[in-house]
Amino acid sequence: MEINFIDLGLANVLFLFVVGFVGGLVSGFIGSGGAFVLTPAMMNMGVPAIMAVASNICHKFPKALVGATKRAKYGQVDVKLGIVMGISAEAGVLIGAHLQEHITATFGKAGSNLYVSAVFVVVLAIVGSYVLRDAWKMYRSSNPDKEEIGAMARWIHSIRIPGTMMYFKSIDREISVLFTIPLGFATGMLAATIAVGGFIGVPAMIYLLGVPSLMASATELVIAFVMGLGGTIKYAWGGFVDIRLAMIILAGSLFGIQLGAIGTTYVKPYLVKVVMGVLMILVLFSRGVAIPVYLSELNMGPILDPGTASLLKDSSFVMLILALAVGAVIVLYGLWSGYRRHAQEQAAEAKKDMGMDLAAAHLSPMGRFERLLLVSDGSEFSQGAVREGIHLAQVCQGRLYALSVVGNEMENEALAVPVLERERQQALEHLRQVENHARQAGVTCEMTLRSGMSVYEEILAEAENHSIDLVVMGRRGRSGLTQWLLGSTTAKMLGQAHNSLLVVPKAAPMAGKRLLVAVDGSRYGDAAATVASHLLKCWQGASLTLLAVVVEEGPKPHSEMEQSVQQMAKLLNEQGISAKTQVVRGDNPAVSIVATAKSNQVDLIIMGTHGRTGLEKWLMGSVAERVIHLSECAVLVVKF
Amino acid sequence: MSKSATRAQTAIYTGLLGLISGSLYFALYWFEEIILDWSKQGGWYFLVPIAIAFTFSLVHGSFTGHFWDLLGVKAKSAKS
Repeated sequence: MEINFIDLGLANVLFLFVVGFVGGLVSGFIGSGGAFVLTPAMMNMGVPAIMAVASNICHKFPKALVGATKRAKYGQVDVKLGIVMGISAEAGVLIGAHLQEHITATFGKAGSNLYVSAVFVVVLAIVGSYVLRDAWKMYRSSNPDKEEIGAMARWIHSIRIPGTMMYFKSIDREISVLFTIPLGFATGMLAATIAVGGFIGVPAMIYLLGVPSLMASATELVIAFVMGLGGTIKYAWGGFVDIRLAMIILAGSLFGIQLGAIGTTYVKPYLVKVVMGVLMILVLFSRGVAIPVYLSELNMGPILDPGTASLLKDSSFVMLILALAVGAVIVLYGLWSGYRRHAQEQAAEAKKDMGMDLAAAHLSPMGRFERLLLVSDGSEFSQGAVREGIHLAQVCQGRLYALSVVGNEMENEALAVPVLERERQQALEHLRQVENHARQAGVTCEMTLRSGMSVYEEILAEAENHSIDLVVMGRRGRSGLTQWLLGSTTAKMLGQAHNSLLVVPKAAPMAGKRLLVAVDGSRYGDAAATVASHLLKCWQGASLTLLAVVVEEGPKPHSEMEQSVQQMAKLLNEQGISAKTQVVRGDNPAVSIVATAKSNQVDLIIMGTHGRTGLEKWLMGSVAERVIHLSECAVLVVKF
Repeated sequence: MSKSATRAQTAIYTGLLGLISGSLYFALYWFEEIILDWSKQGGWYFLVPIAIAFTFSLVHGSFTGHFWDLLGVKAKSAKS
């Protein structure tokens, strides 16, 4: 078939970009939508029908890929369910397209249009009204966050057909693929007929499989990707794809889909149903308006004059655009109100935490640990940090903030909500225990559970929120690169945190009897000594050693280091603190510090850090980081 | 590292991605004829639109994600 590519004017480009954006916004939120406007819109521009369909589907799969990836980061996607349903949907698309061709060949274009409109009206009337009714029930319920699993889904969950059972994380149970296959197939059939398979796929996942609505709408994006890729290959093989049209729509839709996906993190689940239900009902009216035209063309109803027929067709198209616009407005409203509510909650919490005493908190003198952030993942490796964090808060009369971070980094993308929820529950349980222990020790403790892709960023954000003086965290061993609380997190904290950091190995009791301060004549060493002097006021009777390491061919000679240490000891002595001094020679300061600490049976090493990051750190290394990895006792790294 | 430094880095990275994305769109416009000629041929040339779509989704998708991030439109972080 010979087809021609249209000339694209600026107005057309802008129109496609804007419709792409709005469609993307809705798709990012409910998993589908927008496609039903784009095909007729392109046809209105003079694009041949088959090319409009081909170009539409070609923008759909990369859009769905980006949307699915984004929402997987929020733990909302069940990739396995999406692929299983996507493959069966592909079969549905092929059969649906074949059926469409057969109807067109038998009844002509009007017959095909009538068939499409009739399917629209019937499917959307049944499913749309059911979805809206359910959204209303959820909205009116005492707990709008809670989604009940319907009777049909419970029945499907109870059926076990040997050899066909497959586990899906989104529902945390096995179900027979004999149920998912027809659902995927129906999704594909509908996608081939009305270009929005999600109108059947998402409600089917929610009501028949028992998938939570946010997960269903996210998983639909995987199905759309699989269907879209298959459809694009089919049409591109025939040479029907106008890649310019597809990429212009994609330009707008990728802005939209990111925004829609972000919106899902701020709204309650029923809003997904509201958007979907409203969109369905409005699209239903749009197609319903056009039915008399097709009946007239087929001589199956009253004959309409050309003016009336044209008016009805135009009204139908305008209503389609209106439907999409209404969907987008609800999504934007949900995002905006959720965002504001969240910001207000955070501001209120911050205000409460700060006790309206921001200035006092920021001016907290060095070494007075008034606000401690205890980071724990509940593992045995955090035990030391929990024990010593509570103890330190007790002796310093500080306030303790216990934090756990549930990471949903890239490796965990496939984790479904129930799995993440379980992790959250475990973390919460652990935090409650920490809070209990702290209260028993007479320490005021607040617990916080955060989730995010980057653990150290969450810790930093929490530390900033509470103007933390000291972060206390554990260490899993010397290699420490494979677990979230290890190496990289500690290293990033060292480089980027504004507050001091106490790292406690699991079996390192911090008795507060022997302290070692590493000094090098710099202001960082001075800061470490200042902190030590404050701590000694809490740990009365503890001994203090000032250590300087002279590196062969280093910048400072032995005599200069000796002088620095003696001067520091004198200053401390004036404050009534007695300190021993020790100067050792070594090639590696970190190794020398750790070896001296071990031989002196020190239970806490205190040192400053230059806080190098990036290239500087890569070139010069971080003594503090190496000491943390090598030391058998706790290490307090002072930052200012 | 201060917040402003992180923000500046994000802005530079986003700008870079935007530049690459814009260049890709310019290339699509500049080589429009040859690309459409290939697309029209069908058959194994189906790889042309598929490859373009994947490339654009990767680059432009990263750009749009960072774009909203830069404007402060970020996903809600769970807290309890």
